[in-house]
Amino acid sequence: MRLTTHILAAFVAVPLLSGAALAQDADRAKTLVVAVPSDPVNLEPGTNRAEPIGSEVILNVFDTLVAWTPPEFGKLEGRLATAWTVSPDGKVFDFTLREGVKFHDGTPFDAEAVKFSLERTKTTNPYVQATFNLIKEIAVTSPTGVRITLSDPYPAFLSILAQPQSAIVSPTAAKASGDKFATNPVGTGPFVFKSYKADTEVVLEANPSYFRGAPKLSRLVFRVIPAASTRRLEIESGGVDVVQQGGQLAAIAAEDVAALAKNPNVAILTSPSQIIRQLEFNNNKTEGPFTDVRVRRAIAHAIDYDGLLSGIFGGTAERVYGPLTSNNWAFNPKVKDLAPNYDPKKAKALLAEAGVDPAKLDLKLYSFQGALWGAVATFVQANLADIGVKATIQQTEFPALRALQTSGQFDVALDGRQPWYNDPDAHITIGYLSDLAATAMTFRMPKDAMLDGLITKAQQTADTEARKQLYFQIQEEIVKRVPGAYLFSPKLIVFARSNVKGLVVNSAPPLNEYWSVSKQ
Amino acid sequence: MTAFLIRRLLAMVPVLALVLVIVFSLVRLIPGDPAVTLLGPGATQQQISALRLQLDLDKSLPLQFVSYLGGLAQGDLGQSLKSGLPVARELLSRLPATLELAFVALIGAILVGIPLGVVSATRPNSALDHALRVGSLVGVSVPAFLLALILQLVFSVWLGWLPVSGRASPFATGAGATGFALLDSLLAGNPRAFLDGLAHVILPATVLAAFLAATLGRFVRNALMETLGEDFIRTARAKGLTRAEVVYGHGLRNALLPAITVVGLKFAEMLGGAVLTETIFAWPGIGRYMFEAIRNRDYPVIQGTTLLFALIFVASSIVVDILHALLDPRIRRKVAS
Repeated sequence: MRLTTHILAAFVAVPLLSGAALAQDADRAKTLVVAVPSDPVNLEPGTNRAEPIGSEVILNVFDTLVAWTPPEFGKLEGRLATAWTVSPDGKVFDFTLREGVKFHDGTPFDAEAVKFSLERTKTTNPYVQATFNLIKEIAVTSPTGVRITLSDPYPAFLSILAQPQSAIVSPTAAKASGDKFATNPVGTGPFVFKSYKADTEVVLEANPSYFRGAPKLSRLVFRVIPAASTRRLEIESGGVDVVQQGGQLAAIAAEDVAALAKNPNVAILTSPSQIIRQLEFNNNKTEGPFTDVRVRRAIAHAIDYDGLLSGIFGGTAERVYGPLTSNNWAFNPKVKDLAPNYDPKKAKALLAEAGVDPAKLDLKLYSFQGALWGAVATFVQANLADIGVKATIQQTEFPALRALQTSGQFDVALDGRQPWYNDPDAHITIGYLSDLAATAMTFRMPKDAMLDGLITKAQQTADTEARKQLYFQIQEEIVKRVPGAYLFSPKLIVFARSNVKGLVVNSAPPLNEYWSVSKQ
Repeated sequence: MTAFLIRRLLAMVPVLALVLVIVFSLVRLIPGDPAVTLLGPGATQQQISALRLQLDLDKSLPLQFVSYLGGLAQGDLGQSLKSGLPVARELLSRLPATLELAFVALIGAILVGIPLGVVSATRPNSALDHALRVGSLVGVSVPAFLLALILQLVFSVWLGWLPVSGRASPFATGAGATGFALLDSLLAGNPRAFLDGLAHVILPATVLAAFLAATLGRFVRNALMETLGEDFIRTARAKGLTRAEVVYGHGLRNALLPAITVVGLKFAEMLGGAVLTETIFAWPGIGRYMFEAIRNRDYPVIQGTTLLFALIFVASSIVVDILHALLDPRIRRKVAS
């Protein structure tokens, strides 16, 4: 009975509420709704493991000491730090901090907060331990001065400090919340954390006293929408304002992208990325045809790289020639000539020279799931068929493919990496250092004193020009070894309703800041 | 009746145990190391080993199973490998969303399916009957993802009447007392939230209900036609009862009894269908939670959700038995004796 009364009351009350509805419309005009594919976890630097959505939330709630300057992302700018110096040996970093900044809970930002945050993340976050363990000491030199000393020189350290995992947390809030800090994160960023509803949304509100100026939006909502087809329909109907393409594992299909391109209400923003997708060999194998570099080179010559870009990507991907993308500051242009080009005749000749009968090379071509990877695999399969090599495509789920790779039970696989910080180190060290061969997402390179030595040296050289020359040399050495065929670099794609202005697509890490965004 | 209930409840135990053993081993047979997946690129072997140790993945399978059972006995379903939060709590917080969707779908299916069956049965082989039968055949055979896409396109994108996905408009509702958004908004006397919730539930519930409504319609049609051909119906007619009295008072009442069995069992099946529907409609229930857990190789979550689904399945079959006993005096007597 009570329920029926409530229902009746509800319907009677509806007209009375139209005023409230109007107020909500005004709210919507200053609210940006961003569709994300999965539930964000660990919304604070101390526990986040580079999970992209949580990382993006962190970047909007917190600030880092330094950040890459959009839109080129070739130069670092100060955020919570206003200036910094690096000692000639590359081990000591001195930061001057911004004055007058306050955390969302009112705690003043100072050198103690920086020391507290970075030391806290070093102990609590296993994901960054490999680099954070290089930190020998963090010293407070004055209320606005911090000196970080590393045990070994590591020039990419500033890039590491620009990562969301290195963001500065409010010591007061972190101590008070303990292990619940991830559900009550407090930073200095443009948006204040408001609420999180599992599998539903994260709601942030504007921080009116943000040090770079108050954001133009009043609210930022990350809505979790797991199905790519639903995300497409949501942006078409205006239910969400921004959809990120993200990694291609959960991406909107290519034909949907083409359809969205025709929609006047939706703008497609693209930006070159540092992502590399490749056909890789299991370089750690000690037997089989692919231990012969001529056979690997033959496969690399068999692939029609430009055909792949125009046929499957329609302008949404770019050529890659070697282990670094052409937009990387350490890219060696010589690699363009050294990399095997599309030449099926040469491929056949190389196979004959190596004494390998292509008809006997019965390959299993492993790849990720999804229509896009299916199309790429089919294209490569056809290319291989042209030189007489039969390949069977096996599309596997992400965790299963990773398991296959770390256990080394494959000959060739389609794979790729998205570097998480803006430095050649992110591709080169993780991908090609033989010590890391057995871990996930590497080229499984065999012990190679020369290459390993170069990589370690480049990682530790403080002088940028000398470092660049080392990476030049490394790229040439890697391309000579043909650890894989570098297929393409997908552009980062963000779909936005056409009234969304001021959105800059970041490349490394591929996370967006919404401070500058407004809706018209 | 109590003895009957106890017997049925005891019979649940081996069923659930078997489900547990199968799921526990199956999830570990699919290739993929949760530690590798969780740590992402660039993790060293040392980090992976450390995480495996921390997550107890280094222990042998039987040992892992025993420790899982030990926790289960205390109502502990373990912790999600992805979020580190207790699975039992995560499941409970998502269960209302799934149940709400399923109940709305169930009511919809009954409201549509039974009248369709009655209309068809009372006008056999008429044009209307044929149309309804074709309709129900479509309802039974169309895949959920296709139906979902069509409904989203037509009602959300083209007509703009209903939202594409989600359970509520962003930041429209607060957390309620029961976790059932529709009920909470009513209890709080918030009609806007109620209508907002209703608008969101219609499409996913329709997708979920389509199969059940169609099955139910076909079932009621057949059962009612059979009943209407029986002797006691002829007697009732001979007594001079009106057509409505015969069909609804005598025919449908008898035909509905087996229909309850169908509804009960299909309801549990429908919850299984929620995995896909919830994923497509971004509905924050346990089906979606499970979908993401499978992608992440989140073993404790997969085990917990499967166990919960099995529990609901078994429980709903018991409820069907009880309802049957309540409605059919013959069964009641048999149970009592």
